[in-house]
Amino acid sequence: MPSASKAFMLSWHNANRALNTPLPAQTARHGADFSADEIISPLDERVIASASEAMEAGQTHYVDVPGIGPLREALADYLNRAGGSAYEAGNIIVTAGMQEARFLTIQKIGELFDSIGVPAVAHPGARKALGVRRRNIVSLPVDSARGYLPAIDGIAAALAEGCRLLYLESPSRLSGAAYTADEVAAISQLVGEHDAAVIWDQGLAPWIDGDYNSLAALESTPTRVAALSDGWPGMGLSSWFLGAIAAPADWIPAMQSQKQIMAICTATATQYAALEAGQIYNERRDERLAQMRRQREGALHAAAAAGLEVVAGAALNILALRAGAGGEAALAKLRESGADGAHFGAPDTVRLTISNAAAAALRDATEKETE
Amino acid sequence: MSKNNQKQEDQGTNLLYKLIGEARGYDDVIVMGRGDPDFDTPPHIVAAAEEAMIHRHAEYTPPAGLPPLREAIAERVKRVNNIDVDPATEVVVTNGGQEALFLMVLATVGPGDEMIVPEPNYNTYADSLDFAGATKVEVQTWPHEDFRADPALVRAAVTERTRALLLVSPNNPCASVISPADTRELLDIAIKRDLMILSDEIYDLFVYDDFVHTSPASLPGGKERTLTLNALSKSYSMTGWRLGWITGPADLMARVAELKAAISGGVSVISQYAGLAALTGPQEPVEMMAAAYKRRRRLVLDALDAMGMAYGLPQGGQFVFADIGFTGMDSAEVAQRMLTEQHVLAYPGSAFSKDRKDYLRMTFLQPEDKLIEGLERMKVAMQGIMAGR
Ligand SMILES: Cc1ncc(COP(=O)(O)O)c(C=O)c1O
Repeated sequence: MPSASKAFMLSWHNANRALNTPLPAQTARHGADFSADEIISPLDERVIASASEAMEAGQTHYVDVPGIGPLREALADYLNRAGGSAYEAGNIIVTAGMQEARFLTIQKIGELFDSIGVPAVAHPGARKALGVRRRNIVSLPVDSARGYLPAIDGIAAALAEGCRLLYLESPSRLSGAAYTADEVAAISQLVGEHDAAVIWDQGLAPWIDGDYNSLAALESTPTRVAALSDGWPGMGLSSWFLGAIAAPADWIPAMQSQKQIMAICTATATQYAALEAGQIYNERRDERLAQMRRQREGALHAAAAAGLEVVAGAALNILALRAGAGGEAALAKLRESGADGAHFGAPDTVRLTISNAAAAALRDATEKETE
Repeated sequence: MSKNNQKQEDQGTNLLYKLIGEARGYDDVIVMGRGDPDFDTPPHIVAAAEEAMIHRHAEYTPPAGLPPLREAIAERVKRVNNIDVDPATEVVVTNGGQEALFLMVLATVGPGDEMIVPEPNYNTYADSLDFAGATKVEVQTWPHEDFRADPALVRAAVTERTRALLLVSPNNPCASVISPADTRELLDIAIKRDLMILSDEIYDLFVYDDFVHTSPASLPGGKERTLTLNALSKSYSMTGWRLGWITGPADLMARVAELKAAISGGVSVISQYAGLAALTGPQEPVEMMAAAYKRRRRLVLDALDAMGMAYGLPQGGQFVFADIGFTGMDSAEVAQRMLTEQHVLAYPGSAFSKDRKDYLRMTFLQPEDKLIEGLERMKVAMQGIMAGR
C-alpha cells in the first residue's frame, strides 16, 4: 500500500525550494572542475604525521562537543591575529566543515530573532541551511558593481524595518569582494544603533591580498557578531571538513547543545590534522599567496581576451565572471566547469576556483570563441 | 535568548555533560557512564586512514558519501540485516549515528506531527523532535517486562497526527531487543495506520542469549516506509571518527541526502576510508570485542543480583538499566553521590526520561577488573545512601 504519510513528507520537502538549492562541491571532482569552494592543495607530511600519531595513541574516541581544547585555542589565536578580534578558546566551536557552521549559526542564533537578513547574492549553503527549518528571510539588496556585496544603505533599510539579525559574507563567496574598513565601521555602527546581531562569514579572509577588515574586531569582546571560519584554507584539508564558529560566550551553549544533538563532536583525525596545519600555516603563506596571485593574473588576462568581465573581488582564490561584449559563448562554456552564479543569486555570473588549469580553461574558451 | 537557553539547560544531555566534566577531575574514576567503548579503534582501520591521508586526502566526496563506502554499507546491511538497498540511491553516509538520527527525524516529521517513541529512550530523539517542532508521543516500557514495547500500547497511541514510529533495538538505555514477532506486529500497525518507521540499529551486533534482532526493513512491506540507521561507533570502537549511515527507499533517501547537504555537506574522506576498511577488512577484532561485552555483561548482572537490585534483562546492547527505587532518592542525586564519594560514574535515568528518576544506566564498557571495582564502589555508595549517611 502506498504511504500517504510518506507522500506528504516528500511533497513537503520537494516544494521547499530553499532546501533544494544546489551546493558547489567542497573540493574539485577532477583537474578540470573549477566549481568547488576550495582549491586543491598539497598536504604537508607533518600534518599527516601528527594526525597519524594521535590516532595511533588512541585519540579515536568521542571528544568534547565544541572541539579539542588546543584546537579551539589555536583557532581563537589565529582569528585574533588575522582579524583583530579578542576571542578565547571558550568562544570557539569546531564544526564538521563550513556548512555545519552555517547551519548551526543560522538556525540557533536565528531562533533568537524574528527574521534574518540574507544578501540577495550569497553562498547557496546559507539558503539551504535556512530551508531546513523555515525562518522569515529579509533579502538584502546587493551592489553588482561592488562584487555583489550588500549595499550599506540596503542594510540600513532592513535594520530600520525591524530586521535584527544579518547574515553577511566578507569576502563574498561569489566574487571574493570584501568590505573596506570604512564600510565595516559603518555596518558596526548601524548594528550597534539597532541592537542587532550579525553572522559574519569571513572564511575567505585568508585569501585576501593585504589587510582584512573583520566586523568581529570592532568590539573588544564581540557581543553581537558570530564569525564563521574555514580554518586554515590552502593546507590540503578541504576534504576533511573543518570549519569553526567564533561567537560571544552567551551564544555558545545553544549552539553547543545543537552540535551535540546533530553530531556529538567533530572527527578527531580532522581536528588533530587541523591543529598541526595551524601551527605550520604561516611558514608558506606568502609563497601560497604569491602563487595564487600569479595564477589569478593569468586567468584575468585570459578572461579579458575571451570578452569576459571580471566582477570586482579581493580574495585570490576565486574569480567571478560576467559576459562582456561578445563573451556570451565563452561564459556559457565556463558554466560547465565553474560554479553557476544562479545558485548564488547572480544568474549572469560564473565563479571559477583559481588554478593554472582554470587559467588554461579560460584560454581554451577564448580559442573556441575565435575559431 | 534566555528562555531558549534555559530550556536547553534543563535537558538530560546537559546533566550528563556536567557529570562527565566532574569525572575527569578524578584520577581513579571508573566510568560506566558514557557509551564510548574502552577499546581503541583496531589498528588495521587506523592504518587504512593513514593510507588515505597520504593518497586520498584531497578526494571529492558527494554529500551522500563515497561510492565504494556506500557499496560496502549496502553489502553489510544485506549480510547482517537482510535489507536490500541500491548503493547509488538508497544509502547516505553521515557524521556518526547521531547525525543519521537527526536526519531521520527531519526527514519524517515536521511542525505539529507526532512520532511514537517507546520510553525510556536515547535522549537525542527528544531533542531532535523538539528541533523539528514535532511531538513525542510516549509509550512506556517496564523492567518487569524487560522493557518490551507492547504493540497494543503502540496501536493505542496512534492519532491522526502520527507520522512515524521509532524503534531502537537493541535499545539505549534499557537494552531490550524487539522480538521478531513484535517487529512484525509493529510493522503491521505502521502499514495499517500509514506510519513511517525509524529503525535505530546501532547496537545490532550485540545481542545476547537466544534473543534475535530483526530489521523491520527486511520484512515484506517494511523497506518502503523504513529508514534504518547504523554506525561504526559502537561495534568497531570508532566513536571519534564520526561515521554512520542511513539506508531506506530511494524516494525518502533523496530527501535525506538533501537534508544532509544542508546541515553539514559531506563527511571527512579520511573517516570514510577508515569506515571502508572497517567494513571490508578482518572482522576478528569486532568479534573479540563483542565476546568481551558478553562476558562483562554476565559479570555486571551477577554483581547486581548479589546486591539484590532489579533490572530489565539486557537482551542486547552495551548497558543495563537498573531500578534504584529502593533508595527513595532521585537518580541524579544517587549518580552524583556515587561520583563524588566513590568516583564511579553511572548515568541517572532522569537524563533519559523525566519519569525514570529511579533508574541508573551502567555500561559494560570497561575492562573486567575495573567493572568489578566499579560495582564494589557502587555497593559502598548504595550502603551509605541506605544508612542515611
Ligand atoms: C541509540 C543510539 N543511536 C545513536 C547514537 C549515536 O552514536 P554515534 O553518533 O556515536 O554513532 C547513540 C549513541 O550513544 C545511541 O545510543
